[in-house]
Amino acid sequence: MTTTLVEFDDVSLRLGTTQILRNASFTLAPGESVALFGPNGSGKTTLLRLIATLLKPTGGSAQVLGADLAQAARINVRSHIGYVGHEPALYPEMTLFENTDFAARLSGKTSQEAMRALAAVGLDGAAERRAAQCSHGMRRRAEFARVLLSPPTLLLLDEPHSALDADAAALVNEMALQVTERAGGVVIASHDRERVHEMTNRTVELSGGTLVS
Amino acid sequence: MTSIPRQAIEILRRDLRRELRTGEVLWVTIPFGAIALLLIPLAVGTDIPLLRSLGPGIYWVVVLLFGVLVAMRRSGADNQAQRDFLALSGLDPAARFVGQATANALLLLGFELVLGVVSIALYDSSLTGWPWLLLILPIAAAGLALLGTLAAHIVESLGGATALVPLLVAPLSVPLLLGATQSMEALRLGRSILGWLLVMLIVMLTLAIAGILTARPLQEAQ
Amino acid sequence: MTRTYLQIAAIGTMVTALAAGLLVPADAVQGDVGRLMYVHVPGAWLAYLSFLVTLTASVAFLFTRKLRWDRIAVSSAEIGVYFTGLTIALGMIWAKPIWGVWWTWDARLILTAVMFFVYLGYLALRKTMTDPIVRAKRSAVFGILAAVQIPIVHFSVEWWRSLHQPATIIRPDASPQIDPPLFAALMMGVAAFTVAYVALMAVRIELARVDEAIDAAHNSNAVVAGDAVGRPNLKVEIHD
Repeated sequence: MTTTLVEFDDVSLRLGTTQILRNASFTLAPGESVALFGPNGSGKTTLLRLIATLLKPTGGSAQVLGADLAQAARINVRSHIGYVGHEPALYPEMTLFENTDFAARLSGKTSQEAMRALAAVGLDGAAERRAAQCSHGMRRRAEFARVLLSPPTLLLLDEPHSALDADAAALVNEMALQVTERAGGVVIASHDRERVHEMTNRTVELSGGTLVS
Repeated sequence: MTSIPRQAIEILRRDLRRELRTGEVLWVTIPFGAIALLLIPLAVGTDIPLLRSLGPGIYWVVVLLFGVLVAMRRSGADNQAQRDFLALSGLDPAARFVGQATANALLLLGFELVLGVVSIALYDSSLTGWPWLLLILPIAAAGLALLGTLAAHIVESLGGATALVPLLVAPLSVPLLLGATQSMEALRLGRSILGWLLVMLIVMLTLAIAGILTARPLQEAQ
Repeated sequence: MTRTYLQIAAIGTMVTALAAGLLVPADAVQGDVGRLMYVHVPGAWLAYLSFLVTLTASVAFLFTRKLRWDRIAVSSAEIGVYFTGLTIALGMIWAKPIWGVWWTWDARLILTAVMFFVYLGYLALRKTMTDPIVRAKRSAVFGILAAVQIPIVHFSVEWWRSLHQPATIIRPDASPQIDPPLFAALMMGVAAFTVAYVALMAVRIELARVDEAIDAAHNSNAVVAGDAVGRPNLKVEIHD
């Protein structure tokens, strides 16, 4: 295990005809919490998916939790990564409980744990409601519940505050704090500068394919 | 981490549950196939002896062409965010393939059964050697499900490319079509059908192996 | 330079083969229509050859991850689809006067038609993808899947045919004795088409390489994420 959680050295990433990163370097140390800012379309989501090992860099050297992103071994660190994207990942036809339970069973957890995770995000009262009938904020909370099932070393959040009420926003802060207290790392892509500044130690701007600290 | 068979069962449960709630196969694909069975005689002629001889063939063509829609149904697909979630959840891509193909096979079997009843009613087909259908129908359903699932995985994440699935599936479904129709023909003539069953089983086996082996490279190529 | 020589060689052998095909005596049974065989048979040979090359290149790509194999795979598939189409069309033109029908349900014809559609699907699949690596990987998977299934298609169709002999049509493989000069003309056609295939491949592979280079140059020219989004300006006059 390296001393850093994420180590990007001269990393380039191209998707189709779009250059997302151009020789970008970035590190994330244990206990660190970083805010990722950037204008619309600058590639924040893609960068988060890259850190989440869901994409491979097209150039440079990228290590996440000790795994080289260019190598197949990157899939071995996935169970330590918690990622909540900004697109809905719940199945709309299934209830919040079924969605959480599905995640639990895939990773060898029990239905009781799924129910407790829902309770932890304040959704135990809505567990039997189908995701399609829930508000955006409720679906968000249910996705946080899925992350809570296996506490991650690396927490990646994409626009976590959108559509959240004060309680849910406090939940995001608490989750991030728990990860950093365990010497994990957090990256939050957001436009909500004020709120994110409060909960991070460092800011990185993504613009024109480069990362500026 | 859970074992691959366990994960496959979870995927199967998820797919069947989603179908149960949306009823896409039940309320859209099955009626569509039934209408096709109704339309074809209007085009080729409606006299009973003709339909009796064409019936099984028409039935299988409709099952293969319209059955592809089962593998293409919206409630059986994962969007980008859902695929990201699955990849990070520790789900083995091979388990996902097996689970989805099994769900598709079960739904296709239902599709075959309902359309079978419709086709017997409309075409007055004979049911000589019907116990063999208990083997022919599931094997054909499994073969087509594997082919459809594999094609759907190949075009997955290519935005709007789902229209390609029938073009990729139809030409390769020839052995399944021949296996199914020739088995029925052999039953009618009192011949052995084991050879044709073997052809369909070989198709099934090669597709299953191909699907399992390519699941990981296809998932990681996004 | 090599490409130019190849093209000259291809044109040269084509002209020679054409001359041979036109100058040999007409087929005793079929007459002048039989001369179509000098194009039809080499076309069919190329159809099979090119699909074999696509399969080999697809496998090679998956093992080496070198895009050059993908370029060979797509080039060969495109040329293969063209020659398969040509073979089917010429076969139909030949069949109408000789057999009295455009099409017959012969195993070889069915297989050729199936292959035509399979590789049309392969090319259509490629068109949906822009990223070269993703495209290469996904189409290689389909290329291999198709190649594994085609022998099964072939076998099942052959078997089906053996159970249902065609009623009235002359079987195409009821091959009569072929005169040596006619056979020589046929072989010249096969040689000419093969050289033409190699020449076309050389050009098509180069085209694929240039295409990728243009894409790459385009990308290094800063189509950077976010560049297309500017500052909002409500002073813009929206209505006339």
